[in-house]
Amino acid sequence: MNDIEVASVTKRFEDMVAVDDLSLTVTRGELIGLLGPNGAGKSTLTKMISGMLNPTSGTIKIGEFCVQTQPMKVKEQLGVVPQDIVLYDYLNAKENLSFYGRLYGLTGSKLKSRINELLEFTQLDEKAVKRHVSKYSGGMKRRVNIAAALLHEPQVILLDEPTAGLDPQNKHALWQIIETLKSQGKTIVLTTHMMDEAEELCDRVAIMDKGKIIALGSPRELVKKVKMENTITVVPDKAAPELVEKLKNMQGVKNAYIAFDEDEKTQALKVITDNPDDILPDVVAAVAKDGTKVLSVQLSKVTLEDVFITLTGRSLRE
Amino acid sequence: MKIKRGFNQVAAIAKTDFLGVLRNKTAIFFTLLFPLFFIVIIGFTFGQSGTGDMSRISIGVVNLDGELIAVNATNSVNSTIGDTFVEALQTVNFTVSNYGEYGDPETNGTAAYAIRQGNIDAILIIPANFTESLSFQYLDNMSMPIPTRAHLELFVDPTQTTGSVITQQSILGFISGFVKQYQQIAMQQAPADMKAYIEVLTDPLTVTTQDAEITGNELQWIDYMVPGTLGLVLLWSGLNHASMTIATERTKGTFQRMVIAPVSPTTVLLGKFVSNLALVYMSAFIMLVSGILMFQVNLYWDIPVILLGIFLGSLSAIGIGLIISSLTKNEEAANSIAVIISVPLQFFIGAFFPLTMMPEAAQYFGELLPFTKLVDAMKDIMTKNLGFDAVVPEMTYLLISGIILFALGTIAYRVSLKRL
Ligand SMILES: Nc1ncnc2c1ncn2[C@@H]1O[C@H](COP(=O)(O)OP(=O)(O)OP(=O)(O)O)[C@@H](O)[C@H]1O
Ligand SMILES: [Mg+2]
Repeated sequence: MNDIEVASVTKRFEDMVAVDDLSLTVTRGELIGLLGPNGAGKSTLTKMISGMLNPTSGTIKIGEFCVQTQPMKVKEQLGVVPQDIVLYDYLNAKENLSFYGRLYGLTGSKLKSRINELLEFTQLDEKAVKRHVSKYSGGMKRRVNIAAALLHEPQVILLDEPTAGLDPQNKHALWQIIETLKSQGKTIVLTTHMMDEAEELCDRVAIMDKGKIIALGSPRELVKKVKMENTITVVPDKAAPELVEKLKNMQGVKNAYIAFDEDEKTQALKVITDNPDDILPDVVAAVAKDGTKVLSVQLSKVTLEDVFITLTGRSLRE
Repeated sequence: MKIKRGFNQVAAIAKTDFLGVLRNKTAIFFTLLFPLFFIVIIGFTFGQSGTGDMSRISIGVVNLDGELIAVNATNSVNSTIGDTFVEALQTVNFTVSNYGEYGDPETNGTAAYAIRQGNIDAILIIPANFTESLSFQYLDNMSMPIPTRAHLELFVDPTQTTGSVITQQSILGFISGFVKQYQQIAMQQAPADMKAYIEVLTDPLTVTTQDAEITGNELQWIDYMVPGTLGLVLLWSGLNHASMTIATERTKGTFQRMVIAPVSPTTVLLGKFVSNLALVYMSAFIMLVSGILMFQVNLYWDIPVILLGIFLGSLSAIGIGLIISSLTKNEEAANSIAVIISVPLQFFIGAFFPLTMMPEAAQYFGELLPFTKLVDAMKDIMTKNLGFDAVVPEMTYLLISGIILFALGTIAYRVSLKRL
């Protein structure tokens, strides 16, 4: 079952085309990433899905309802987390959540219990809950910003760069939250320009550039598209040719060979593989056998960034 | 179910909007305290003039009442009522000096000369038939008294813009007090079968001034101002806040977030209207209570009509605010336009001084403003103690302009939804 259907959607701002004849289908329970550089049209696309912007042409459906013609039905099912933090800074977290809950028709004990659940989720302590949002740290605001979109338990969640500006700890806490939502069967569109985030969380990634999707697939599929390979480089104290044979025969290894460094003295074993993370320990263990010492290990993975560079000739962040 | 949900949404939007003002010092100042600030400054500057301290007002009286005139009267009068009138002026502590004639500003010793020199603040001319009119000496051929009015002329120094109004209002207040007492006495003395007729007769004085307006109360400047401040409330708490509310939310993005929730445009508008109306009422309450506490204003309180008037006026104020809010790009633009509109307008609505003091073109303009209508109506109700009937034209005007402006505001708002 499809939860989101974007069909040939174009958005023009005066003479500039922000989203260009774009089509995309997201099935129920899927977490899809929109990855692309600044100005690629990611936010414009999510705004059109949420009904905040009208497409210049094309149609968008959420479940069985059309965004343009049945907006109220669509809005009930959508939870939208905007890119910028959008909260009333003169209200505290609870008051903000109460406001958004009531907009979605929650009242009484139902509203109260949802607010309490989500306050727990924001991990604010009791004192913080009572302070105005203007006094919160960036991470606290981000979490409340997300909580405000989840009160009415929407099936489809649009997250526009939810982790922007967060430190690694907060970022990983948020990833956990997103994983939890996914495990509840929510359909999620996650906009980001961070590769690690897309690789970590997404079932599929749509790489966007200049208003178009230039590649679509699971992170692994996308990486395969590039004529680059994941390489594990192991530098042993002595590299024997039998070792190369042994590595070649290991499961998951596509190729193995001995390479010399630039100074032509040190020898390194290069292992080419599709899933470097899985086999790295085995490779190191295999080399370290028979009295051979491992001096250094290096892993160079093909990332979505490499995919993007290969496809566009530009880097994601410029 | 749907209606209940709508109510709940309206309440949530209204509450959030209202708290936005209450928890923001700048907003409190501009929407609630700024008008109060005005009235306090002006009240303390001019407010105490009036019946409170009349000695500061110096009146040159030209009493022509002593002159003999021909009437078809048989009674002869010993003491003239004109003299009583002058004595009464002195009793309430006006500084009174007598002049033989109005004269001309160039001739020393005349009233006109004195006022030009600034020695006196006003000239009051008591007509020659003053006593004759007030003592029913004009009779018809059935020997029944003919309604005759004595005609007082009041001149104030037009160069003292606000001062002249204070003077004028104080003297008019005095005159109406005098008339009241006169009426009482006349009614008491009249034979029982003549009472109804006397009632018709005992409206004995007319006064011409720059704006002849006889009130039931003895008015102080501040009494006159307090109803006027309700017009200011409409401008500052109504028009201004309404202009800011959506524009501010649009700038912050909370507006966009609100409209991607399943709320209808009508619900959002209603929520904003409710909070705005609450603000206007709150501000009006603050103004009126401050007027009572600080200046002991002496007014009449027809609460339902006052509430209704404020409501109808709010429709126009909020309607204009919605238009501004919807057509401007951001908070700052909305704010500047609201200020550019409301600051000058407050001088055209008759809140600080009567419109009649403005140039003619300005008066026509001012008369078109719904805020002026509210000020007029509130003055009728609160200072003259007139009933609802007396303000039906103003209320109707407020209703019609309210419907038109609010409708335009709604249209502008709906158009603005297309460019979130
Ligand atoms: N309201 C608007 N009016 C005019 N141009 C706009 C508007 N909104 C977006 N754009 C333009 O459309 C293009 C796409 O913008 P969008 O915000 O969708 O990019 P994005 O992929 O979300 O970028 P970022 O990673 O910086 O958030 C940009 O060139 C932007 O300048
Ligand atoms: Mg964006």
